[in-house]
Amino acid sequence: MDTLSLLADGFAGALTWQNLFWVVLGCLLGTAVGVMPGLGSSMAVALLLPVTFALEPTAAFIMFSGVYFGGLFGDSTMGILMNTPGQASAIASTFEGHKMALSGRAPQALATAAIGAFVGGFIASIVVVFLAPWLADFSSNFGPAEFFALALFAFIATSSVVTDSAVKGLLSLAVGLGIAVVGIDSVTGIPRFTMDSPLLFDGISLVTVTVAILALGEVIYFAVIARFKKEGQLLKSKGRPWLSRKEMREAAPAWARGTAIGLPFGVVPAGGSEIPTFLAYGAERKLDRRRKEPQFGKGAIRGLAAPEAAGNSTTGMAMGALLALGLPISATAAIMLAAFRQYGLQPGPLLFERAPDLVWALLASFFIAMVVLLIINLPFAMVWAKLLLIPRPYLYAGITVFCGLGIYATSGSTFDLLVLLGVGVLGFLMRVHDYPLAPLIIGMVLGPLAETSLRDALISADGNASVLVQGPIVLTLYGLLVVTLLLAIRNKVVSRTKKDV
Amino acid sequence: MTQQSVQPGQASAADPQRPTPRTGGLLLKELTMPIVLAAFATYLLVNMLVMDVPDSVDFPGPRFFPAIVTGVIYLLVILQVIASVRHWSAGNLTVEGEDAAVRFSWSSLLWVVGGFLGFSLLLEFLGWIIAAGLLFWCVAQGFGSKKPIASLITGLTVSSIAYIAFDMALGLSLPSGILGGGF
Repeated sequence: MDTLSLLADGFAGALTWQNLFWVVLGCLLGTAVGVMPGLGSSMAVALLLPVTFALEPTAAFIMFSGVYFGGLFGDSTMGILMNTPGQASAIASTFEGHKMALSGRAPQALATAAIGAFVGGFIASIVVVFLAPWLADFSSNFGPAEFFALALFAFIATSSVVTDSAVKGLLSLAVGLGIAVVGIDSVTGIPRFTMDSPLLFDGISLVTVTVAILALGEVIYFAVIARFKKEGQLLKSKGRPWLSRKEMREAAPAWARGTAIGLPFGVVPAGGSEIPTFLAYGAERKLDRRRKEPQFGKGAIRGLAAPEAAGNSTTGMAMGALLALGLPISATAAIMLAAFRQYGLQPGPLLFERAPDLVWALLASFFIAMVVLLIINLPFAMVWAKLLLIPRPYLYAGITVFCGLGIYATSGSTFDLLVLLGVGVLGFLMRVHDYPLAPLIIGMVLGPLAETSLRDALISADGNASVLVQGPIVLTLYGLLVVTLLLAIRNKVVSRTKKDV
Repeated sequence: MTQQSVQPGQASAADPQRPTPRTGGLLLKELTMPIVLAAFATYLLVNMLVMDVPDSVDFPGPRFFPAIVTGVIYLLVILQVIASVRHWSAGNLTVEGEDAAVRFSWSSLLWVVGGFLGFSLLLEFLGWIIAAGLLFWCVAQGFGSKKPIASLITGLTVSSIAYIAFDMALGLSLPSGILGGGF
């Protein structure tokens, strides 16, 4: 009951006119960026991150949650209509979704996606409300060794499990860790890797790196290479944007199964919602084959419903893991963590005690964001598609100007703009050579946590390394990591043998 | 570096299994990232060697974690170089990345990166409205915009609106530069 009264307080905090305005604005902006082909939700969050610093924390985070979920809704709209998923997590829903649109059922496909995303996100938010305080309570027992194990888990899982080449994933991670060690050492106060320049004493700002990698690098990549690639045709969606009772009955079990598959992945640091969306898609396909008239391949409504629900339930749960453990499971969640830090808040066990108003208002705003997004996406998907009329040069020029605006406004220094450009070029090179970008962000965000907890653990044990593998929680985490790695290796071997046949 | 000027249409028609030529330029292109990464690791290494750490600091000191990271980067770079050279000598480089066969526009790269560099250096002198307007124009040129005058006007409009919205309304501070004087 305690949780419910806290949540009620949260709703009271979130439902002021002002906060309602920010959540709606966030939803609109998130959907708008998500709808743009090739621009994903992580870019939306990265671009808007610096600008929200003009707001007070609660308003900023409420707007952020709108952007965060809005990007996901938008991603799938374009995946369905144009076959151009904005982000890896939208790929699985594109297969059957685009086929539905091709067979003239575009409005139904859009509705299935929007309701699926709503169901997944809403259920995940309910779970988060009850689970997060418990998780925060549990994790308050964590010492340095536990946090180090958690960070190591996130590092290995994001860099080697999700990516095609483990070497490239780990390199990307190592660059993130390397960037994070620049600046004054937090334990001893000794400047590191600064070449005695005061400009680097505070280190390289996480915000700058995020915007550089996810936005500016992407713009350069589009200008130099991607704009010459062929693009899909936009399909028109005409007719009622709602599902018949029969279609609802058809999709409902898939929404439920997708949500169930997605939920646990929200707390496993394995790169976000890419894996669960594919798992949900695969599960539906297997079930479909047993039916009398298999629908897959012809635009199966279930093949779209399940991954959409899975993707959003993972994203919702990820916020729980972020708030309670301070553990970002995807690049987007990592940016949210950066936002918290910018306001001097550290997500994790203590956040629920130190800033309960903010946390509960944020959790309440998830529910509001879901409802707002359902309203603005269900009937108006085609209105969003009008955004494609913006000429490509202007769109990307605008994004670039926005990158510059955000970074200059937060730092006020030319030096940070130059760092932005330098890291942006690095991001571009990584993109060209197929290096995954998410591990870099995760490494940069969790690097300091990993380093301080590693050193704290070792210092308090007088340099005895065995302290790192003691205690039930630590051993469980490492056990899970080994299991995850074995599963990933098995999957890779299986898919490789399949390819050869 | 060799410029890949294959048109997208031809690229999709080309047989992906066809061996790629074993030119030095192609290998250099493949090794761009390892070279950049090795340079980064070397920067970390050199700075670690010159770092001044008093004896009173307990193990593990400020060099402990960076040393691990640097070591890991060197090791992985070597692995990656071996893999790339192997692909190169076997002649199947294009299979690695789908982008390798697509056109690479150097002029766009120059417009965008050069434009941003100019923007960074001149922002405080020119002021937000002019500098951001020019940045907009440069990026639009980099994307092959056909109407330079129109995109310049659009750019200045966008930068002015951004100035009004973020500097005047939201209170972020953007430089007014040579247009400034009073406000």
